[in-house]
Amino acid sequence: MEYNIIIAGVGGQGVVTLGSLIAEATMDAGLNVVMSEIHGLSQRGGSVSVDVRIGDVRSPITPDGSANLIIGLEGMEGFRMLGKANADTLLLVNSRRMTPVYLGIRGKEYPDLKEMAKAVGGTVRILFIDGENLAREAGSERAAGTALLGAALAMHEIPVSENNVNSALSRRFSGKILALNHKALDLGMRYGAQLLKGSNVPVPTGKP
Amino acid sequence: MKIYDRVLDGLPGEKTLLLGNEAIARGFVEAAGGVAATYPGTPSSEVGDTLSEIAARGGFYFEISVNEKVALEVAYSAAISGIRSFAFMKHVGLNVAADALMSTAYSGVRAGMVVMTADDPSMFSSQNEQDNRHYAELSHLPMIEPSTPQEAKDYLIRAFEISEKLAMPVLFRTTTRVSHMRAPVVMGPKEDRLALMGTYPGHLAHVTLPSYSIKSRKALSMRISHAEVISQQTDLNRLEVYGDGEYGFITSGSAYNSLVDVIKSNSIGAEVLKVGMSNPIPENRIASFLMSHEYMFVVEELDPYLEQKVRVIAQREGIPALIHGKLDGTFPEEYEYSADVIEKALAAPLKLNIKPRTAPAVLQQIPPRPPALCPGCPHRATYYAVKRAVRMSGLNNVTYSSDIGCYSLGAYEPFEMADVLLEMGSSLGAGSGLGKLTDSRVVAFVGDSTFFHAGIPALINAVRTGSRMTLVVMDNSTTAMTGQQTNPGLAYDGMGNPSAQMSIEEIIRSTGVGSLETADPYDLKTFLPAVLRSLKSEGVSAVVARRECAILRDREIRKKGQMPVYVVDTKKCALCMNCVTNFSCPAIDIKGGQIAIDPDLCDGCGVCAEPMVCPFRAIVSGERNGI
Ligand code: SF4
Ligand code: SF4
Repeated sequence: MEYNIIIAGVGGQGVVTLGSLIAEATMDAGLNVVMSEIHGLSQRGGSVSVDVRIGDVRSPITPDGSANLIIGLEGMEGFRMLGKANADTLLLVNSRRMTPVYLGIRGKEYPDLKEMAKAVGGTVRILFIDGENLAREAGSERAAGTALLGAALAMHEIPVSENNVNSALSRRFSGKILALNHKALDLGMRYGAQLLKGSNVPVPTGKP
Repeated sequence: MKIYDRVLDGLPGEKTLLLGNEAIARGFVEAAGGVAATYPGTPSSEVGDTLSEIAARGGFYFEISVNEKVALEVAYSAAISGIRSFAFMKHVGLNVAADALMSTAYSGVRAGMVVMTADDPSMFSSQNEQDNRHYAELSHLPMIEPSTPQEAKDYLIRAFEISEKLAMPVLFRTTTRVSHMRAPVVMGPKEDRLALMGTYPGHLAHVTLPSYSIKSRKALSMRISHAEVISQQTDLNRLEVYGDGEYGFITSGSAYNSLVDVIKSNSIGAEVLKVGMSNPIPENRIASFLMSHEYMFVVEELDPYLEQKVRVIAQREGIPALIHGKLDGTFPEEYEYSADVIEKALAAPLKLNIKPRTAPAVLQQIPPRPPALCPGCPHRATYYAVKRAVRMSGLNNVTYSSDIGCYSLGAYEPFEMADVLLEMGSSLGAGSGLGKLTDSRVVAFVGDSTFFHAGIPALINAVRTGSRMTLVVMDNSTTAMTGQQTNPGLAYDGMGNPSAQMSIEEIIRSTGVGSLETADPYDLKTFLPAVLRSLKSEGVSAVVARRECAILRDREIRKKGQMPVYVVDTKKCALCMNCVTNFSCPAIDIKGGQIAIDPDLCDGCGVCAEPMVCPFRAIVSGERNGI
């Protein structure tokens, strides 16, 4: 068994935190897990990605075309990982957009990701999920990663359970933050389940 | 329990998810190490971050030394006094410490001493990808290389044991993918020994005068042959069999992980000799391994270190095995080895059936996002002001000499203010030369920690030789890039205890510079004139740009519950674009044809609101809706 998750985002967004949360939940599920982290200079507001590899694997680097799930905490950073995707990959794209200074310096605006998704042309399953608003409904947009993970749990065969994630959360957080993360996970799961079922899924409003 | 507490208090048999570097800290605890010293550097820094948190409670001493050489000397002083000691650093840090390292092999030690080098294949955070296995050969010290966090912990303990058996330091080499790999680690018991108790008995071997070293050299040869015996027998070097074991592989470190994945996913019949002790290598075992395989692949990152040795053994013993590695072009010479890289290299010789893949075309539409200075970073203000001041000064021959730290990012657009950058302290060393030997006026940028680390001798040199240089010390009161560690400019040490604090100004003044100013870069109105004055001064002049790292400032103001934010008054904004094109704070971008500040990113530093950045005064202090 092998299941590869890639979390992509911008340095400072909590990419490593979400990755290690999943890795801990995986360990709780009794499975082998290895994860690559990024520290140091590359963390300063640049593209950051971590791999969480589950199962019978040793290297923490996911081979090209072998990701099962990609979570883009920032829009275009999710797309940047497409080289790791294959026809069965699920790419979840969060609603957060951060314009790289590269664009501003050239007087350009953030690219249209929906257009980009069309250009990918169905070779990868791409879903846009308003993780920010789902998390706001739970209490703070800081839990967007947890909400996206919830959606992924409902939609894909990640070999960890809701319980595994919740207990990993309990070890990491306490009090209000813990409660809102539990809630964000739950909202994410419900949302994912709805998306699986049907077409007219209401867009998260962000109202708690 | 916090991860740091788990590193210290975890019970034997407990399984914990640890970063390679955290596992190394645990290894130090289990080995009952007494002294650890470092200078921070990616990918080694988290070892120190962990030890720093647990040292007081764990009953050992931890020091963030002024540089790697001193860290190694401090560890050495402990080891010759009977205390298990550990010095750790990034690969290029070992260059700084190399002078001390070379003689430790001659001197020997009385308690275990391990020197860790964290190499950085593919240069994620480094200026080069030098292969520090060569240091093992050069210094004659044994070298141990783990592949996983579990091994990182276990092998560190073994390294201490071997060091004590041989009475010499042992090198311990990780790479980024081992130091920064997180995986389950089963904790072991803590050794029952007093960590901190030493007396220095004095021994002539520790005095490396030629007349003593000439004797020590013989003793060193004895130690080396003893080390060869250990390498021959140790299970740090182990054999693994996959399928029918047809092909032979010799590998080590991170490459081992990728190789095994390739072997399994392609069902290659293989025997793998994993070399965990890479100096001295187990020559006899390698010889018999070579004899049992017609085809042999040496899979290692960076230089053909093992391969050359393997080829020598084959030639010496007359073994006809066909050896593939880097020297015959089978494997690439540069960068880290992912499974993809290894699979591609093995595809032809092993006739693997690999589907060719092409990168999706959309990737080309995605703009690059290299690292950038944080929103609110004082260095942005400094670069912005210095660039203006240079323009205003009328100097047309300015060379920017930069250094290692977050501020290295000033090399990128929009500032592009680095014409030369070599290594720690080079802003001043190269600056000293350029300002003396060329017609340039040099503007040298150095951070506080780097100034202490290697800048001071070069400053002395610049003043003595009459170099034409303006030094800008970007004092953000921390060692920011590696994770906000302490440095000699601060009043606390690596364990968080109060310590003596060095004054950058006093040190600079004592060298006799032409002029010295201190100013806050957030306050562009006073900072820019200070830089202008300094640029007009003769010889060496200095400006200390003092303002704490935005990350530290954030922590402070968050504690106080205030978090100011700035907004754009679109009625006043003339769309001059100066703030995005020339100042380029990541919080400011263009949305729907308007300038907008992202409240989640804005750090409230207020520098963009200065008329020097926004001449239309369109950026104003705003309200934050909930923190
Ligand atoms: S960590 Fe501190 S010094 Fe480094 S870029 Fe961010 S604000 Fe600047
Ligand atoms: S106040 Fe301006 S310069 Fe400072 S962080 Fe906010 S947007 Fe950036």
